[in-house]
Amino acid sequence: MTKDLTINVHHLTRVEGHGNIVVNVSNGAIETCEWQVPEAPRFFEAMVRGRHYTEVARITSRICGICSVGHTLASLKATEAAPGIRISEQTRRLRELLKHAENFDSHVLHVYFLAAPDLLGVPSVFPLVATHGEVVARALRLKRLAHEWGSLIGGRTTHPTTAVPGGFARLPTARQLDELKQRLLAAVPDLAATLDTIVALAPRVPVFNRPTEYVALSADAQYGLYDGLVQSVLPDGRKERYPVASYRSVTNEYVVPASTAKYARHKLDSYAVGALARFNNNYDTLHPEAKKAAARLGLKPICTNPYMNTIAQVVEIVHSAHDGLRLIDELLADGIRDEGLVAPTTCASGAGAVEVPRGILFHEYAYDRDGMCLGGNCVIPTNQNHANIQHDFEKLVPELLAAEKGEKEVELSLEMLVRAYDPCVSCSTHYLDVTFVR
Amino acid sequence: MRYLVGFGNYTSYDDSIGLRIVEHIAERGLEQGFRALDLSTNSLDLVSYLNADTEAVLIVDSARMGMAPGEVHFFTPEEVESRKEPGHLSTHEGDVLKVLELARAMGYPEPPILIMGIEPERVTSEIGLSKALEERLPGYAAAAITRLRDL
Repeated sequence: MTKDLTINVHHLTRVEGHGNIVVNVSNGAIETCEWQVPEAPRFFEAMVRGRHYTEVARITSRICGICSVGHTLASLKATEAAPGIRISEQTRRLRELLKHAENFDSHVLHVYFLAAPDLLGVPSVFPLVATHGEVVARALRLKRLAHEWGSLIGGRTTHPTTAVPGGFARLPTARQLDELKQRLLAAVPDLAATLDTIVALAPRVPVFNRPTEYVALSADAQYGLYDGLVQSVLPDGRKERYPVASYRSVTNEYVVPASTAKYARHKLDSYAVGALARFNNNYDTLHPEAKKAAARLGLKPICTNPYMNTIAQVVEIVHSAHDGLRLIDELLADGIRDEGLVAPTTCASGAGAVEVPRGILFHEYAYDRDGMCLGGNCVIPTNQNHANIQHDFEKLVPELLAAEKGEKEVELSLEMLVRAYDPCVSCSTHYLDVTFVR
Repeated sequence: MRYLVGFGNYTSYDDSIGLRIVEHIAERGLEQGFRALDLSTNSLDLVSYLNADTEAVLIVDSARMGMAPGEVHFFTPEEVESRKEPGHLSTHEGDVLKVLELARAMGYPEPPILIMGIEPERVTSEIGLSKALEERLPGYAAAAITRLRDL
């Protein structure tokens, strides 16, 4: 057994945001084993106070640069629930199509650019240009498709402008939707090649199992990304559903000394959200092509290996492409109609939920009778995963020590574990930092 | 097509300057003869605009250059070296210089590209702009449009 070990990963790379890994082992005893989140609070819930209901989604969209579509849609659903706005079938389909674009986009980024380098033993995607050029070219093609898919439906992929309370401010034309359909069909060989690549890499995914609770949106007729009830599945397979409006009875947020972010728990000490949680809850409603992909990848519900979250994301990439094609066909069959925005009849409070790439996202607002926001509450998926990551650490570190793993191996295993959750701790800065050479 | 591309985080104060310039242009109907794009922190999405028929790209972004807050410098990607840790392409570590390097290595078309760097005064988790940058916003937008047209 490994006797002494010190790991202090400050600002783990290839994750979205800032998190630290701290492990100290002295003479075989684990003194510290922590997943720390040092991000400062950002006060979005305060920013929406006093703002009109038509402005709120534009503000909360800025919570995240990757999940901005999801924040927009969860915000719209909560805002629309407050005054009882019932959107049209066309709006619902377009929002589902937009949601698929976001999940596809984020999963391609995570699988190819953030997780694959670990599986291939390189520090980033750059060395792969020389050794796996076609894989990098494919990754860029799929990323580009996702961006242009989201831009068509949402006005822009990041912080969409067209999705507004009661409908869409601008609609895609039938011709544009048909062009998108052709591009998705043309991408099918790239999806097949993605599967081939990941099937080849799957044996390198670490084997580590810790049964936990998985929480996701769930619906009877479709794989719950945009709509559904909150569902929990326990390790023994028991499932329970809850109305979105009572989401606080599921999230039960609390604070811990090691983190500025809130933690969450439900039936057990912690629960997981994200692609694997959705897969474990909603396998039956996956598109048949996605089920085939899961079979090739050896992924079956209920999977309790958190490293397989990346593999579940690959399954969802396939699902989003094929279910996106279904939605386009339905929209084209019914014809795109220029609908007005559905107006509110009253104002009260409401909650909304969607599945963003990293898991279930809740927004809740209260409005006065003039439609001005009195207050909000946003529960993001990464925060719901922090406690589960911590409990994974507490089981994994002793296993690694017992297997005589050295410091670097333990560090890499923990880094890969955190990356598998694809955490989006909070948006940080982006500025260029340059030295002039000419 | 010519593209004016803003990068940055809208909620990180002066880091949002590129997005503010795009917003200023869109709100005032100044987007004529080019497209103004808010790509936020998703620097990898730039590859969608590196096409054979792309005439020019002007990137507007905050940049630590060792200048006074609010000062502007136009430079090409070849004129600088990034001091950021190499190779990380998450939206949080994104570096448009690295994306351009990747696109070049993968054989993407290379239209004329110019970067308009604006020295930030303060980059914190807050919505807004420091006075030094806010006062110059219309001037930044005008300068960006002129340089893109001449590119």
